[in-house]
Formats: sequence, structure tokens, C-alpha cells
Amino acid sequence: MYLFANATIYVGLALAIYSLLIITLGISTKNQRLINSGKGGIIGILVCASMAMLSLFYLLATSQFQYEYVSDYTSSELPVIYKLTALWAGNSGSLLLWTFFLVLYTIMIAFSRKMRGNPMVPYISAILLGNIVFFFLILGFVAKPFILLDQVPIEGHGLNPMLQNPGMIIHPVTLYLGYVGLAIPFAFAMAALLLKNVDDFWIKMTRRWTIIAWLFLSLGNIFGGQWAYVELGWGGYWAWDPVENASFMPWLTATAFLHSVMIQERKNMLKIWNISLIITSYALTLFGTFLVRSGVLTSVHAFANSNLGLYFLIFMGVMVIGALYVLMSRYNLLKRSAGEFNSYMSKESSFLINNLLLVGAAFGVFWGTVFPLVSEAVRGTKVTVGMPFFNTVQAPILLSMMFVMAVCPLLAWQRSSLKNLKKNFLIPAILAVAAMALMVVLGIQKAWAVIGFGVIVLLFITHFLEFYRGVKARRKMTKEKVYLSLYRLMTKNRRRYGGYIVHIGIAFIAMGIIGSQNYDVQTMKTVNLGESIEVKDYRINYERLDQKKEGINDIVYAEMTVFKNGKRIGNIQPEKVFYGNWDQPSSEVGLITSLKEDLYVVLSDWEDDGKATFIVKVNPMIAWLWIGSFMIVIGSLFAVWNGKYQNITPRYTGVRKEVS
Amino acid sequence: MENIKILLHDTQEYAKRCLNVKNKIYIGLLLIAFILQASNFQVQAKEFDYKSKEFEAAASQFMCTCGCGQDHFECDPKTCNLTIGFKEDIVEMMNKGWDKDKIREYYVNIYGEEILTAPEKSGFSLVAWVLPFAVLVIAGVAIFFIVRKWVKKKGPEELTSDIESVKDEVEEEILSSMIEEERKKYL
Repeated sequence: MYLFANATIYVGLALAIYSLLIITLGISTKNQRLINSGKGGIIGILVCASMAMLSLFYLLATSQFQYEYVSDYTSSELPVIYKLTALWAGNSGSLLLWTFFLVLYTIMIAFSRKMRGNPMVPYISAILLGNIVFFFLILGFVAKPFILLDQVPIEGHGLNPMLQNPGMIIHPVTLYLGYVGLAIPFAFAMAALLLKNVDDFWIKMTRRWTIIAWLFLSLGNIFGGQWAYVELGWGGYWAWDPVENASFMPWLTATAFLHSVMIQERKNMLKIWNISLIITSYALTLFGTFLVRSGVLTSVHAFANSNLGLYFLIFMGVMVIGALYVLMSRYNLLKRSAGEFNSYMSKESSFLINNLLLVGAAFGVFWGTVFPLVSEAVRGTKVTVGMPFFNTVQAPILLSMMFVMAVCPLLAWQRSSLKNLKKNFLIPAILAVAAMALMVVLGIQKAWAVIGFGVIVLLFITHFLEFYRGVKARRKMTKEKVYLSLYRLMTKNRRRYGGYIVHIGIAFIAMGIIGSQNYDVQTMKTVNLGESIEVKDYRINYERLDQKKEGINDIVYAEMTVFKNGKRIGNIQPEKVFYGNWDQPSSEVGLITSLKEDLYVVLSDWEDDGKATFIVKVNPMIAWLWIGSFMIVIGSLFAVWNGKYQNITPRYTGVRKEVS
Repeated sequence: MENIKILLHDTQEYAKRCLNVKNKIYIGLLLIAFILQASNFQVQAKEFDYKSKEFEAAASQFMCTCGCGQDHFECDPKTCNLTIGFKEDIVEMMNKGWDKDKIREYYVNIYGEEILTAPEKSGFSLVAWVLPFAVLVIAGVAIFFIVRKWVKKKGPEELTSDIESVKDEVEEEILSSMIEEERKKYL
């Protein structure tokens, strides 16, 4: 097994180098046979990466503690599902997963039906193979997943209890699919530049892949937030940890690209800017990996004992310098077709402001993340840049972003006249102001909350009007029924209406954030058995404290009955879990969720006589975070889905076909 | 002699009265001290809510150094011994009437800026707060000038024709998609 597992890595590396060289040679000599050989090599690499994954899964599932990785991250009593998820708990395993996804994406491009006969394929494959070679080099010589120990330990170290949560199954996988996915638009961009052809086909394909990567990145962050909310016991979902920031930055720049590419599509402008955004997004994924695996910054996500960061920094440097060189060498070509704007007030202008804010937000996050290093270099003082900083800096930027998002759909392309503005905005603006006044009357009086909710109301109204106007116009011509008309309207322009669904999802998320940040109530109380805790409209009766054993873990739990306005609404059982092979206990929160608010109870401490201390929180509107997240997924899938009537990918009409 | 007796009696009376007053003052003082002490006992005996907004304002300013990555407001005393003492110290300072800024100043003087969850808004650290907005403003101005340049490229005649050619975008899109659909059906 040892030989087989290691062979998968080294044969994979050899095949990756072979494929890279043979495809590069095929491109330069215009020899299709060499290209085909390289493509065959990619299939071989996929087989190797798959075998390596299966080998590690097998070793983990069967607790082969003679392997260092298995011994470091699992123990025999660990449930099988967490034994398997331990594959991405450590450095080398997670990099193996990364490599596997990268190879998977590469094969999807190289053998794509849509890309058949396309001369970009060899270039894209070569660029992705460059990435694959780097990862196989790391797996083969730096972070080896299959190292044998000199002595076989009787038991493994076990998996960090924080990682023993369903979130561990899905959060890292989706995040990696997002991270790796951003390498595809990068490869497309480089291929297009090398072929001197940044055309409509390139835009469509790149946007499609960016949406897929963006969706996975969003999902990764959402699942991470949900996991943090239920597992860590602090009632939050986003802590502005350096590693969270590292995944948020490419999300922001990719979002900026998805909007600005529309200007390129319509007006043949901003080509350099769009390619720069793709390069930045890709570089930021590598920067994130550098942060997690270098230990330069303190983070709860950081991998232990890692010096891998340096390799990623070097690789990032090489790729970015290479990309900038290619970009500069094609500068004149890209600049030549630059167009112009018709007016200051148009959809195009609003997209520019959108890009300014999104990239500005990304810069704010980047600056806050690296500032401890800057401060240490300049003054010798390594300051902490935490939540208060990011909340203060990001809140106005992201709120402005929401405003632009609310206004943009009703602005016309080319130019919006004053009459047009008045016609489109008067009613939504009046309704939004009225809603804000109503909020103040109803007792929502914090300035940020009122402005934030006001902008969200405006967004809902403008988006509703978009759907309403579309259906009305369609019905005028076709006399269809409302629902049929709405369905056809949306399916005929999936990108636009998918985008609107995503916007509405973002608005729901913003609702959740504003509500939970401004109106949360919490208390910490020590009570005797039979006593109750009262918070807002809730009364929580503390009825029983007991202990149970699950495997080698001891669980102390409290049984509580919850009443709201005197009416019983359910039972909760907050727990403290003490692990047999881990020093730190963890909290399992007691949770009652509703659309209005979450009741969130943590068992903090207790005494022998049953007296116990609880942290009780009422977090308003949290459910809207998850509803909004669901809408983002629906909207993104709707946008990328190939409909019956829609041929989303135009035929390739670029440079003369030589090799493909 | 009688006068002396009366005087003596008066003096004794006076002394007695003085003593009584003194005793009353002492007793009064003792009572006040007792009441104050008792109220102090009451404050200490009353359970402090470590999740109150006042405590959050003070404690969330400081980073816990146990490796949890959280501030002292969020850090769980059950899993971190370090935060227990820290929380108690903050409560003591709050009981003395210190506000969050004074508490912050106290700790920064001892441990330096490293203990804070966010950089100070003074000295070099001010750069952290200002730069993102400065970059936004500069980039915003740059975009304004770029858009102005692009708009200027268009002549005034072209602009007029643009206004005339603005149609209802949605209607146009629907119409074209219907034509496309019909075309696909019959061709």
C-alpha cells in the first residue's frame, strides 16, 4: 500500500511534467498529435490523483496508524465520516484534495464538448498543468501525505473536536472548489491574451466559470459561517479572521469582475481592467493559502507546523509576474478597441461605482489583514486588527454597495435622462423613506439600522419593479398568463434574472447581518435547578443537569424548557463535550430558530449541587442569513443553467485554428 | 463654693453632653460605614452579568492571548483560565467608576497596543483606519475623470440622437427574444 500510494503521487508528477512539456511543444510546433498525447496525460493524472485520494481515504477509514497523517488526525473511536473528512484536516491531505479538484477542472476543460476544436484548449491546459505540477511537487517533496512512522502508535492523536461537525464535510470542500475554480478564469484569460483574442466567446466562457467558482466560494463561506455559529458558542458567524478574509477578498474581486465584464460585452471596454480582476482574484486565492500555511498571522484556521507558505508566496509571485508580463505585452491590442460612455448617469457608470466599491472593500480587507505585518515592519509592534476595525471600515463601503445594487437595475444602458430617473425612482424612493419613518416610529432608531433597512427596502422595490415591468411588457405582446409570462421572461434571460435573485439573496443576508449586529440581546446567569432565566419575551426553565458517555467522550448537558410570552415553544439541551483525547472541551449550543430571531443557549459552567451558569442570547433575524444564502445558490444556478431556448456559448470565431 | 459646685456641675453636664454628641457622631459614622460596607457587600454578592452591554464595551477592546482568537468579552472562562482573572479585573475597575476609555488606557500603558482588538486611532496606526477610505476617494476621483474623458469623446450631435433612440429596454429585449424563438421554430 505504501509503495502504491506514493507511486500515485510521483507518477502523477511525472505525467504532469510530461503533459505540460508535450502540450507546450505541441503549441509551438503546431502538432496536434503532441497535444492529443498531452491530453491523454491529463487523463493519467486524474487517475493518479483519484488513486491517491482513494488510498488516503482507505488508510484513514481503516485507522492505519503507521502512517503519520492517519496518526496525526484520527483515532480509532472517531466516527467513520470524520475519519474520512480528516483527509482535508491536515496540510498534505488538503493539498491532495486541492490537486484532485484542479485536475478534475482541467479535464472538464480539456474534454469539454463546448471547447471541442477550440485553439484555446492547449493553452488553458498548459496553464492549469503548470499549477498541477506545482501541487504535485509540494505533495512529492514538501507535504507528503504518505509518510510511514518508525514506530506504530497504538492510538492516533484524534481529530480536533471543533472539526467534528457536519460543517467539516462540506465547508472545506466547497471552499476549495471555489478557490481552485478561480484558476480556470485565470487560465482562460491568459490563453486569450496569448492568442490575442479577447472576444465574445472568451467573455461567455470566462463568466460562466467565474460564476461557478463564485458560487462555490459563496457556499464555502456560508457553510463556514453556519458552522462557526453552532459550534464555537460565541453566537457569531463571521469573525474577520485572516483566513476568512482570505476567502472574502477573491469573492469581492470575482463579484466585481462578474459586473464589469458586462461593460466589456456591451461596449468592448475595460478589457485590461477585467483581466486584472481575474489575475487579482486568482492571486488572492494563492495569497489566502500562503496565509493559512505560513503561520505569519494568528488564525483559528491555520494549519499546524507549516512552512509551506513560502512556496506558495514564490509560486504566487511567479504566476502574477508572468501574468502581468503577458498582459503588458498585449496592452496595445487591448487598448485599441476601447469605446466610450454616452453619459455620466447610466448603467455603465453604476457598474464602475460598483467595481470601485467592491475592489475598495477588498482593499480594505487586505489592508486590515496585512496591517499587523506592516506595523511590525515599521514600528516593531505587531498590532491586532480585529472585528471592530473591519466592522467600522467595511460597514459604510458595503452599505454603499447595497445602495448601488438597489439603484442599478432601474438605470438604463447608454444614458438615463432626468425624466427616466424620475419615472423609475420616485415611487421606490418615497416608499423607502416611508419605510424608514415607519421603522423609527416602531422603535428601530439606530442610525445604521434605519439606513441599512431603508436601502434594503429600496432594493426590494426596484427589483420587484424590474420583474413587474418585464412581465407587463411581455403580457402586452403575448397575452400570456402572469406566471407563464414570468417564467418565460426569466428563462429567456437567465443571466439577468438569476443575477436579480442573487441580489435579493444578498439583501436577505444584509437584513440578517444588520438585525443581528444591532439588536442582539445577551445575558449570563447562574441559576439553581428549577429556577428560570428571563430574557426579552423568553422564560427558560432549567430542569435537569446530567452527564452521559458517548464513546470516549463525556457529555455534560442541561435540560431546559423554553416559554415565549408564557407559551411553551420547545425544549433545548445545551451541552459541554469533554473529549477523551483532547484537552479543550467544546460547546454544543441549544438553539430555537424562527424567522424573527434565534434563541441561543450555551452551558458555560456548573457546580456539584446542580447550580449552573448559562449564556443566553437572542439573535434577531439570523434565519434570513441562511434564506439569503439559499437564494444566492438558486440565483447562481439559474444564471449558469443552459436553458432549452438558450445557447449560452456562441461559436468560437477567433483566431485561425491551428491546434486544439 | 456654691458657684464652684454649680460650675462643676455645669462642666460635668457639658462634658456629659459632649460625650453624648461624640458618641452619637461615632455611632452615626459607624452606621454610615456599616451601610456603605453592606452596600459594597451587596454589590459583590450580586452576580455580575458578563454579557451585559457595559461589560461588552469595556472587555471587547482587549484580545485574549490564550490562542482562542477571541476578545475577552467572548472568550469562554470555562476553557480559558486567563480570561477569568482579566474579566474580574475589568469588573473591579468598572466598580471603581472607570469608563471603557480609562480601562483601555490602563491596559495599553501596561501591555502596549498589542493587547487591543483594533489599532489605536492615533500615530502610525491611524494609517490603518484612513488608508482604505483615502484609496476609495482617490480612485473615485480618478474614475470621475476617466468617465468624463469617455463622455467627452462623444460629440454633442451624437448625444442628442442617443436621447431620441432610448427605448424601453425590456420591451426591446422581449421582442428580440420572441423573434429569435419564432426563427428557431420555423427555420
